[in-house]
Amino acid sequence: MMLEISGLVARYGEHEVLRGIDLRLEKGDSLAIIGESGAGKTTLGLAMMRLTGARLDGKLLFDGMNLLEFSEDEMRRLRGDRMAMVFQNVEDALDPVYTAEEQVCEAISAHNKWSKTRIRERARALLTAVGLDEMRYRLYPHQLSGGERQRVLIAMALANDPDLLILDEPTASLDALTKADIVELLRSATSDRISIIITHDISLASSLSKKMAVLYSGAIMEMGRTADLIRNPKHPYTRGLLRSFPSMSTTKDLQGIPGRTIPGIGGCPFHPRCTQKMEICEREVPRPVELNGRQIACHRGGIVPLLEIRDVSKKFNGFHAVSHVTLTLYEGETVALVGESGSGKTTLAKILMGLIEPDSGEILLEGERARWDAGFYRRVQMIFQNPKESISHRLNVLQAVREPLDVQKMGSEEERITSAMWALESAELPTDPEFLRRYPHQLSGGEAQRVAIARALVMHPKLLIADEPTSALDPSVQAKILRLLMDLQERMGLSILFITHDIALARKVSDRIAVMLRGSIVEEGPSGEVLREPAHWYTASLVECASICTRTVGVPAMEQ
Amino acid sequence: MSSLLKRYDFIIKIDLIWLSNYVASFLLILILNFVLPRMMPGDPLHAIYGEEALIAMTPEMEAEIIKRFALDQPWHAQLLTYIIALLRGDLGYSYYYRTGVSDVILCFLPWTLLLTGLAFMISSCIGVILGIESGYRRGSKFDGFMLPIMMFLGGMPDFFIGIILLLLFGVTLGLAPLGGAMSPYAGHSGIDLVMDIAHHLMLPLITLVLVQLAPTYLLTRNAMLTTLRARFIMTAKATGLSEGDIRYKHAGRNSLLPVVTAIGIRVPNMITGALFLEIVFSYPGVGTLLNTALSARDYPLIQGVLLIVTVTVLTTNFLVDMTYTRLDPRVRYAR
Amino acid sequence: MHVDLWREIRSSSAGVFGMVIVAIIAGLAVSAPITAPSYRDIGPVFSPPSGEHLLGTDDLGQDIAAKLIHGARTSLMIAFGVAILSALISVIVGGSAAMLGGTYDRVCMRAVDAVMSLPSVVVMILVGAYLKPDLWLLIILISLFSWPGGARIVRSQTLSLRERLHVVAARAFGASRGYILVRHILPDLGPVLVAIMIQDARRAVLMEAGLAFLGVSDPMVVSWGRMMKQAMAFTYLDAWKWWLIPAGVLLSVTLVGFSLIAAALERAMDPRLQEDV
Ligand SMILES: Nc1ncnc2c1ncn2[C@@H]1O[C@H](COP(=O)(O)OP(=O)(O)OP(=O)(O)O)[C@@H](O)[C@H]1O
Ligand code: SF4
Ligand SMILES: [Mg+2]
Repeated sequence: MMLEISGLVARYGEHEVLRGIDLRLEKGDSLAIIGESGAGKTTLGLAMMRLTGARLDGKLLFDGMNLLEFSEDEMRRLRGDRMAMVFQNVEDALDPVYTAEEQVCEAISAHNKWSKTRIRERARALLTAVGLDEMRYRLYPHQLSGGERQRVLIAMALANDPDLLILDEPTASLDALTKADIVELLRSATSDRISIIITHDISLASSLSKKMAVLYSGAIMEMGRTADLIRNPKHPYTRGLLRSFPSMSTTKDLQGIPGRTIPGIGGCPFHPRCTQKMEICEREVPRPVELNGRQIACHRGGIVPLLEIRDVSKKFNGFHAVSHVTLTLYEGETVALVGESGSGKTTLAKILMGLIEPDSGEILLEGERARWDAGFYRRVQMIFQNPKESISHRLNVLQAVREPLDVQKMGSEEERITSAMWALESAELPTDPEFLRRYPHQLSGGEAQRVAIARALVMHPKLLIADEPTSALDPSVQAKILRLLMDLQERMGLSILFITHDIALARKVSDRIAVMLRGSIVEEGPSGEVLREPAHWYTASLVECASICTRTVGVPAMEQ
Repeated sequence: MSSLLKRYDFIIKIDLIWLSNYVASFLLILILNFVLPRMMPGDPLHAIYGEEALIAMTPEMEAEIIKRFALDQPWHAQLLTYIIALLRGDLGYSYYYRTGVSDVILCFLPWTLLLTGLAFMISSCIGVILGIESGYRRGSKFDGFMLPIMMFLGGMPDFFIGIILLLLFGVTLGLAPLGGAMSPYAGHSGIDLVMDIAHHLMLPLITLVLVQLAPTYLLTRNAMLTTLRARFIMTAKATGLSEGDIRYKHAGRNSLLPVVTAIGIRVPNMITGALFLEIVFSYPGVGTLLNTALSARDYPLIQGVLLIVTVTVLTTNFLVDMTYTRLDPRVRYAR
Repeated sequence: MHVDLWREIRSSSAGVFGMVIVAIIAGLAVSAPITAPSYRDIGPVFSPPSGEHLLGTDDLGQDIAAKLIHGARTSLMIAFGVAILSALISVIVGGSAAMLGGTYDRVCMRAVDAVMSLPSVVVMILVGAYLKPDLWLLIILISLFSWPGGARIVRSQTLSLRERLHVVAARAFGASRGYILVRHILPDLGPVLVAIMIQDARRAVLMEAGLAFLGVSDPMVVSWGRMMKQAMAFTYLDAWKWWLIPAGVLLSVTLVGFSLIAAALERAMDPRLQEDV
């Protein structure tokens, strides 16, 4: 038994809702389809049942039969018998004028010429199996709770033991406990057949599916093993989607994906929102490419590495300040480099910025050896711990912010001012003449750090190295600056190397954490994972210490 | 057990509220019947019976009526007599027919009930079926054909449709009788009698069915359009039910609910429609009686007709409400 | 509900057709004093259509065409009067019931149900038989039986509008009920009211014709229904062809016109009905 979809296209008039879906599922496979609202998830599910109003093209092979060539009557005989679908639990998913039992009976009798008693027995067995209380068989849908209605719907779908089971948002609008029950029930229901779980609830997807496909604007962006994909998203859209989903395993604050879906554009559907797009992305649709069990549709092969540090070492007077450090920073992500003072964090930052020459190892920026020339500094910028000191006291705000442009001789006078103004606005600073004329000593700590950020932004860098950017600020200003950095990342796809000694802070801002001890990186991984299950004793002690500190100081709301 | 009791208790309360509705309507009519004539200038006898009637009456009859309805007494005594008379089924005296109003009405009522009852059943069935088909296949040729016809038919005044049919089939083509409910003095019996009655009934019945078809059709169609969007239709399709089951058992059955409610609202409309058609076809029902009473200015008779029609309407409405609770489990159990 | 009624009606062919019909009838009615000034003049009876009498003369020898034009006047005056008066009562009862709630609301709705379940035409026949109403009294009488449906709709609309955010916001800064009704709810009720008024107008035209057909009308007022009643007595003559039929057709066309507009409005306000074309 097999479901094979190739080049499936669904159209409403001119509007392509699905643009060439390829899928191959075998008995026992469970696939989750996730994606934003309007991505076409429901349409895909309905298309498999041939129930959508959209026009379908392509191939839809079920057990070798092309369903798109089937007559309506042939389809009808398959539906509910060999393929079934459970719809989102909405108030009217069940017919209000028939009892639960009647509706399950109907689902059975639609495909079996059995006697009434036999049908009823089977219906009751099913309802028992889905855990509906016997007292409730004879009740009407409006007398059932949301969870009970969902159970009835599941019983109806399972009535004829289908080979293909499609679940569309099966737990939406259920409370957490009921949801857990239903998920348990679904887990047993989905085994031993092909099951497809359509949802935007990633936790549901991860508990019910082995494979996961990310749908965007009618195209599959990424597909792979569920756990893998969640732990290590490779497509920019997948990462954005995961970032905007609250879960217990991610710790970073929620971020969104900038912009919204624009239907009907050419090229990669995601390109208007993609922060790493190239010129080809607007012209050509990326083909899905499979590598190590992961399928990605992206001209750049997924999220690209921005900065690669390979085996970098530096010795000062025989003392290993940085030893054999290897670390990759991907486009649009935040990596926190955590370690106590003296662990070599700042030395590494200085090496990255070309301020110190490493003894060995190499550094690659966008795949090329870093040469620390004008082109490098246009793409990589740094903000320092002490903003006031990093800005010359002889420059006023405007001069300070446009300084990099002046240094690089970029653009005309007017363009430089426009860029500076944009940078100031991005850093959420005023742009009135009075403020522009201020000098560093006339700025508060927070303002000064924002000016420093504006100055770093003015050349539209791709990477920001932030060395303890907030440690000199009071907590409230600190929170605002961090929020600003996150927003900038969301909007411009900025990558940030966030250097800090505070693992609690790192947890809130980073996608990945690298822990440094005496010049080496001792642990590295997704933030949630590193914090939840530290592999190295040193990380563990940092986490331990952070939670004790917060507890004794009584900082509220640092939930774990 | 006690919760069960409570539930029944509750249902009874709701039914009382419902009933109070009918009672209110009924009282309204009684008050109108009682007060309206007595508001007119002149003595009650003149006001109630009108000049024409009094000319035709002998002084003894006048005295008898004054006594029977206590017309020389103060108004509360009159009211009491009025109610007592009503309870006895005494609706007053028809000077035109020279007998009691209730007797006159009882002669005419069966024909009206026959006409409206049949028309109601036929038009509801056809209207609902056409509405279901049209709504299910919206945008199809069938739908595109039915919808404008029904909208047009629904817009026409009922008595004019009757007039046209009468002129066409009765006057011009001579296919149908021009009036009456059966051929007088023909002495038909058995199957001949039935055929004769059917022959006379045909034209008024067809007209009334046509007139009543449009609202049922339009309402069913609209209800279908709404129901077809409900999720359970998708569930039914995904279950692999047959077209017919989806169309009738699920979509149709649910679309029936608003239609049945609206039938209640349409009953008065329908009965008045029947009255008008009876006049057009000179069919000896309550409508023709009303027309006669109007031209003869037989006021007690008009009042009597009004009362009977109201009672009929309210009874039908009550039955419809009852049906509705049977049809919709949400109403049946939610209370 | 933000519906551009004018545009919605124009976008449906049925609506446009209805508007054209009503406009033509209205044109006839307005032009009556010019096009048919001498409709009361008496000439030879039952003369067939001729150059002088476009549709011949009736049993009194009056020009039928001229009387038809004046009949349009009567029908539309009734339609207009009832639409305004009945909608006014609907708004007052429905709006106040929704705004005040409680027992008052329940009493109002009972009254609505009670009036709605009456066979209004028959009641009007009785009342009309006693009171012998002129045009104005007739308008008032018909209105007294037309308002409940509208009141029910206005009430439910008001209830739902009351929960809209901008109204809740106005309440939150202490706006009075009257202010909210006038400033926020009535304007939003606009489209619904127009629909109710069209329905009322239609029913009023039908009722007037029906009552006149039964003879319950002011003999001084020319009316299509009355003309039909008179013509019905002479079906054995050929006169019905240019007497009875034109009156009936005019009446039907007017009613159909209103129905079409009403249907277009209903569609405009219920998006579920819009999908089919
Ligand atoms: N009947 C229809 N006519 C036209 N377009 C439609 C129709 N149904 C859906 N669409 C469009 O198809 C696209 C995909 O819709 P679909 O319901 O499959 O999304 P989804 O991923 O299931 O979203 P959600 O998570 O909100 O359920 C949307 O752009 C939607 O506007
Ligand atoms: S890099 Fe290009 S192809 Fe890849 S996701 Fe971005 S826009 Fe699409
Ligand atoms: Mg969906």
